Amino acid sequence: MQQIISLAYLLLIFVFLAMGGAIIFHLLFYRINRHVASIMSIIYIIGSIALLISNFTMFRAVDWYHLAFSTGL
Amino acid sequence: MYGEISFPGQHDNENIILFLRRHWFIFLKRFLIVLAAIIALGVIYILINVATPNLRESEFNNLLLFGESLATLFIWNMFFILWLDFYLDAWIVTNERIINIEQKGFFSRNISELKLTKVQDVTSEIIGVIPTLLDYGNIYVQTAGEIERFTFYEIPNPNFVKNTIVQLQEKEKKSEESELGKAIRGELN
Repeated sequence: MQQIISLAYLLLIFVFLAMGGAIIFHLLFYRINRHVASIMSIIYIIGSIALLISNFTMFRAVDWYHLAFSTGL
Repeated sequence: MYGEISFPGQHDNENIILFLRRHWFIFLKRFLIVLAAIIALGVIYILINVATPNLRESEFNNLLLFGESLATLFIWNMFFILWLDFYLDAWIVTNERIINIEQKGFFSRNISELKLTKVQDVTSEIIGVIPTLLDYGNIYVQTAGEIERFTFYEIPNPNFVKNTIVQLQEKEKKSEESELGKAIRGELN
Protein backbone atom coordinates (compact mmCIF):
# COMPACT_ATOMS: atom_id res chain seq x y z
CA MET A 1 0.00 0.00 0.00
CA GLN A 2 2.73 2.40 1.08
CA GLN A 3 4.64 1.64 -2.12
CA ILE A 4 1.64 2.37 -4.35
CA ILE A 5 1.09 5.72 -2.58
CA SER A 6 4.78 6.58 -2.84
CA LEU A 7 4.75 5.70 -6.55
CA ALA A 8 1.63 7.84 -7.18
CA TYR A 9 3.25 10.71 -5.26
CA LEU A 10 6.45 10.33 -7.26
CA LEU A 11 4.42 10.46 -10.47
CA LEU A 12 2.71 13.70 -9.40
CA ILE A 13 6.05 15.25 -8.47
CA PHE A 14 7.44 14.16 -11.83
CA VAL A 15 4.53 15.90 -13.60
CA PHE A 16 5.19 19.03 -11.51
CA LEU A 17 8.90 18.94 -12.34
CA ALA A 18 8.19 18.42 -16.06
CA MET A 19 5.91 21.46 -16.06
CA GLY A 20 8.55 23.38 -14.11
CA GLY A 21 11.21 22.41 -16.63
CA ALA A 22 9.02 23.69 -19.47
CA ILE A 23 8.42 26.97 -17.60
CA ILE A 24 12.14 27.53 -16.98
CA PHE A 25 12.93 26.62 -20.60
CA HIS A 26 10.41 29.18 -21.90
CA LEU A 27 11.62 31.83 -19.45
CA LEU A 28 15.27 31.47 -20.33
CA PHE A 29 15.14 30.43 -23.99
CA TYR A 30 12.56 32.93 -25.26
CA ARG A 31 13.60 35.78 -22.99
CA ILE A 32 12.54 39.09 -24.47
CA ASN A 33 13.74 41.05 -21.48
CA ARG A 34 16.74 39.42 -19.77
CA HIS A 35 16.23 41.27 -16.49
CA VAL A 36 12.58 40.23 -16.10
CA ALA A 37 13.28 36.65 -17.25
CA SER A 38 16.13 36.23 -14.75
CA ILE A 39 14.14 37.63 -11.81
CA MET A 40 11.08 35.51 -12.61
CA SER A 41 13.24 32.38 -13.01
CA ILE A 42 14.80 32.95 -9.58
CA ILE A 43 11.37 33.56 -7.99
CA TYR A 44 10.01 30.40 -9.64
CA ILE A 45 12.94 28.20 -8.62
CA ILE A 46 13.05 29.44 -4.99
CA GLY A 47 9.26 29.17 -4.63
CA SER A 48 9.17 25.71 -6.19
CA ILE A 49 11.94 24.38 -3.93
CA ALA A 50 10.21 25.79 -0.82
CA LEU A 51 6.85 24.30 -1.85
CA LEU A 52 8.40 20.94 -2.75
CA ILE A 53 10.21 20.71 0.61
CA SER A 54 7.05 21.60 2.55
CA ASN A 55 5.00 19.16 0.45
CA PHE A 56 7.47 16.34 1.00
CA THR A 57 7.50 17.07 4.75
CA MET A 58 3.70 16.84 4.78
CA PHE A 59 3.79 13.64 2.76
CA ARG A 60 6.11 12.14 5.39
CA ALA A 61 3.89 13.43 8.20
CA VAL A 62 0.86 11.50 6.95
CA ASP A 63 0.49 8.10 8.62
CA TRP A 64 -0.42 6.23 5.42
CA TYR A 65 -0.43 2.80 7.06
CA HIS A 66 -2.82 3.90 9.80
CA LEU A 67 -4.99 5.76 7.27
CA ALA A 68 -5.24 2.71 5.02
CA PHE A 69 -6.06 0.54 8.04
CA SER A 70 -8.74 2.92 9.39
CA THR A 71 -10.41 3.40 5.99
CA GLY A 72 -10.45 -0.34 5.38
CA LEU A 73 -8.08 -0.30 2.43
CA MET B 1 13.83 53.37 -23.87
CA TYR B 2 13.72 49.67 -24.85
CA GLY B 3 17.44 48.98 -24.32
CA GLU B 4 16.77 45.86 -22.25
CA ILE B 5 14.51 44.38 -24.92
CA SER B 6 15.76 42.26 -27.77
CA PHE B 7 14.05 39.87 -30.16
CA PRO B 8 15.24 37.14 -32.53
CA GLY B 9 16.35 38.43 -35.95
CA GLN B 10 16.80 42.05 -34.88
CA HIS B 11 18.78 44.06 -37.46
CA ASP B 12 21.82 46.16 -36.52
CA ASN B 13 20.26 49.56 -37.13
CA GLU B 14 16.77 48.57 -36.14
CA ASN B 15 15.31 50.68 -33.33
CA ILE B 16 12.35 49.58 -31.26
CA ILE B 17 9.72 52.33 -31.36
CA LEU B 18 6.92 50.52 -29.51
CA PHE B 19 6.96 47.36 -27.46
CA LEU B 20 3.46 46.16 -26.71
CA ARG B 21 1.88 43.47 -24.62
CA ARG B 22 -1.73 42.84 -23.74
CA HIS B 23 -3.19 45.31 -21.25
CA TRP B 24 -2.49 44.55 -17.54
CA PHE B 25 -6.23 44.06 -16.99
CA ILE B 26 -6.11 40.95 -19.21
CA PHE B 27 -3.45 39.45 -16.92
CA LEU B 28 -5.47 40.52 -13.86
CA LYS B 29 -8.48 38.58 -15.21
CA ARG B 30 -6.31 35.47 -15.54
CA PHE B 31 -4.74 36.08 -12.13
CA LEU B 32 -8.21 36.07 -10.59
CA ILE B 33 -8.47 32.37 -11.54
CA VAL B 34 -5.33 31.66 -9.50
CA LEU B 35 -6.63 33.81 -6.64
CA ALA B 36 -9.97 31.96 -6.73
CA ALA B 37 -8.14 28.61 -6.53
CA ILE B 38 -6.14 29.79 -3.47
CA ILE B 39 -9.30 31.10 -1.78
CA ALA B 40 -11.07 27.81 -2.59
CA LEU B 41 -8.28 25.88 -0.83
CA GLY B 42 -8.67 28.05 2.28
CA VAL B 43 -12.46 27.70 2.21
CA ILE B 44 -12.25 23.90 1.83
CA TYR B 45 -9.88 23.69 4.82
CA ILE B 46 -12.14 25.86 7.00
CA LEU B 47 -15.32 24.01 5.95
CA ILE B 48 -13.82 20.59 6.69
CA ASN B 49 -12.57 21.86 10.07
CA VAL B 50 -16.01 23.22 10.93
CA ALA B 51 -17.75 20.02 9.80
CA THR B 52 -15.41 17.77 11.81
CA PRO B 53 -14.37 19.44 15.08
CA ASN B 54 -11.96 16.63 16.07
CA LEU B 55 -10.08 16.76 12.76
CA ARG B 56 -6.94 18.35 14.27
CA GLU B 57 -6.47 15.38 16.60
CA SER B 58 -7.10 12.80 13.86
CA GLU B 59 -4.69 11.42 11.27
CA PHE B 60 -6.84 12.97 8.51
CA ASN B 61 -5.62 16.47 9.39
CA ASN B 62 -2.17 15.72 7.98
CA LEU B 63 -3.77 14.16 4.90
CA LEU B 64 -5.85 17.30 4.35
CA LEU B 65 -2.78 19.53 4.76
CA PHE B 66 -0.82 17.32 2.36
CA GLY B 67 -3.64 17.53 -0.23
CA GLU B 68 -3.78 21.31 0.10
CA SER B 69 0.00 21.55 -0.20
CA LEU B 70 -0.06 19.39 -3.35
CA ALA B 71 -2.77 21.59 -4.85
CA THR B 72 -0.67 24.68 -4.01
CA LEU B 73 2.23 23.20 -5.99
CA PHE B 74 0.09 22.98 -9.12
CA ILE B 75 -1.50 26.40 -8.54
CA TRP B 76 2.05 27.81 -8.37
CA ASN B 77 2.77 26.25 -11.77
CA MET B 78 -0.55 27.46 -13.16
CA PHE B 79 0.28 31.05 -12.16
CA PHE B 80 3.59 30.90 -14.01
CA ILE B 81 2.00 29.30 -17.09
CA LEU B 82 -0.57 32.12 -17.22
CA TRP B 83 2.12 34.72 -16.66
CA LEU B 84 4.32 33.19 -19.40
CA ASP B 85 1.42 33.23 -21.84
CA PHE B 86 0.99 36.94 -21.08
CA TYR B 87 4.71 37.74 -21.05
CA LEU B 88 5.65 35.91 -24.25
CA ASP B 89 2.87 37.43 -26.38
CA ALA B 90 4.30 40.66 -27.76
CA TRP B 91 4.04 43.09 -30.62
CA ILE B 92 7.10 45.08 -31.57
CA VAL B 93 7.00 48.13 -33.80
CA THR B 94 10.43 49.12 -35.08
CA ASN B 95 11.50 51.80 -37.56
CA GLU B 96 11.46 49.07 -40.27
CA ARG B 97 8.70 46.56 -39.48
CA ILE B 98 6.05 45.19 -37.17
CA ILE B 99 6.76 41.90 -35.42
CA ASN B 100 4.09 39.71 -33.88
CA ILE B 101 5.29 37.13 -31.34
CA GLU B 102 2.52 34.81 -30.24
CA GLN B 103 2.85 32.05 -27.67
CA LYS B 104 0.09 29.43 -27.55
CA GLY B 105 0.62 27.26 -24.48
CA PHE B 106 3.87 25.32 -24.29
CA PHE B 107 5.97 24.67 -27.40
CA SER B 108 3.74 26.51 -29.85
CA ARG B 109 5.25 29.83 -30.87
CA ASN B 110 4.36 31.89 -33.89
CA ILE B 111 6.51 34.83 -35.03
CA SER B 112 5.41 36.86 -38.02
CA GLU B 113 6.61 40.17 -39.37
CA LEU B 114 5.41 42.84 -41.70
CA LYS B 115 7.40 45.61 -43.40
CA LEU B 116 6.04 49.07 -42.68
CA THR B 117 6.03 49.88 -46.41
CA LYS B 118 3.54 47.01 -46.98
CA VAL B 119 1.01 48.53 -44.57
CA GLN B 120 -2.09 49.80 -46.35
CA ASP B 121 -4.59 50.44 -43.64
CA VAL B 122 -4.56 50.56 -39.84
CA THR B 123 -7.76 50.29 -37.78
CA SER B 124 -8.09 50.57 -34.01
CA GLU B 125 -11.05 49.14 -32.15
CA ILE B 126 -12.22 49.60 -28.56
CA ILE B 127 -15.35 47.63 -27.70
CA GLY B 128 -16.99 47.45 -24.28
CA VAL B 129 -17.24 49.43 -21.06
CA ILE B 130 -14.05 48.21 -19.35
CA PRO B 131 -11.87 48.55 -22.50
CA THR B 132 -13.21 52.11 -22.94
CA LEU B 133 -12.53 53.03 -19.31
CA LEU B 134 -9.06 51.43 -19.25
CA ASP B 135 -8.26 52.41 -22.84
CA TYR B 136 -7.32 49.10 -24.40
CA GLY B 137 -8.42 47.38 -27.58
CA ASN B 138 -7.44 45.73 -30.84
CA ILE B 139 -5.55 47.06 -33.84
CA TYR B 140 -5.93 45.60 -37.31
CA VAL B 141 -3.18 46.21 -39.84
CA GLN B 142 -4.20 45.51 -43.42
CA THR B 143 -1.45 44.65 -45.84
CA ALA B 144 -1.29 45.02 -49.60
CA GLY B 145 -2.54 41.97 -51.47
CA GLU B 146 -3.08 39.80 -48.43
CA ILE B 147 -6.40 38.62 -47.09
CA GLU B 148 -5.19 37.99 -43.57
CA ARG B 149 -4.88 40.94 -41.28
CA PHE B 150 -2.15 41.54 -38.75
CA THR B 151 -3.90 41.86 -35.41
CA PHE B 152 -2.72 43.34 -32.12
CA TYR B 153 -4.97 41.97 -29.39
CA GLU B 154 -6.06 43.91 -26.29
CA ILE B 155 -3.18 46.35 -26.28
CA PRO B 156 -3.11 49.59 -24.24
CA ASN B 157 -3.65 52.97 -25.99
CA PRO B 158 -4.74 51.54 -29.37
CA ASN B 159 -5.40 54.97 -30.90
CA PHE B 160 -1.92 56.22 -30.03
CA VAL B 161 -0.39 53.01 -31.40
CA LYS B 162 -2.43 53.29 -34.61
CA ASN B 163 -1.26 56.90 -35.14
CA THR B 164 2.35 55.93 -34.48
CA ILE B 165 2.20 53.08 -37.01
CA VAL B 166 0.62 55.37 -39.63
CA GLN B 167 3.30 58.04 -39.04
CA LEU B 168 6.10 55.47 -39.23
CA GLN B 169 4.60 53.95 -42.37
CA GLU B 170 4.41 57.36 -44.08
CA LYS B 171 7.99 58.16 -43.04
CA GLU B 172 9.26 54.79 -44.27
CA LYS B 173 7.35 55.13 -47.55
CA LYS B 174 8.76 58.65 -48.14
CA SER B 175 12.29 57.47 -47.42
CA GLU B 176 11.83 54.51 -49.78
CA GLU B 177 10.47 56.81 -52.51
CA SER B 178 13.34 59.26 -52.05
CA GLU B 179 15.87 56.39 -52.25
CA LEU B 180 14.15 55.11 -55.39
CA GLY B 181 14.24 58.64 -56.86
CA LYS B 182 17.93 58.91 -56.09
CA ALA B 183 18.57 55.57 -57.74
CA ILE B 184 16.66 56.59 -60.88
CA ARG B 185 18.43 59.96 -61.07
CA GLY B 186 21.74 58.19 -60.58
CA GLU B 187 20.94 55.87 -63.42
CA LEU B 188 19.82 58.75 -65.66
CA ASN B 189 22.97 60.76 -64.88
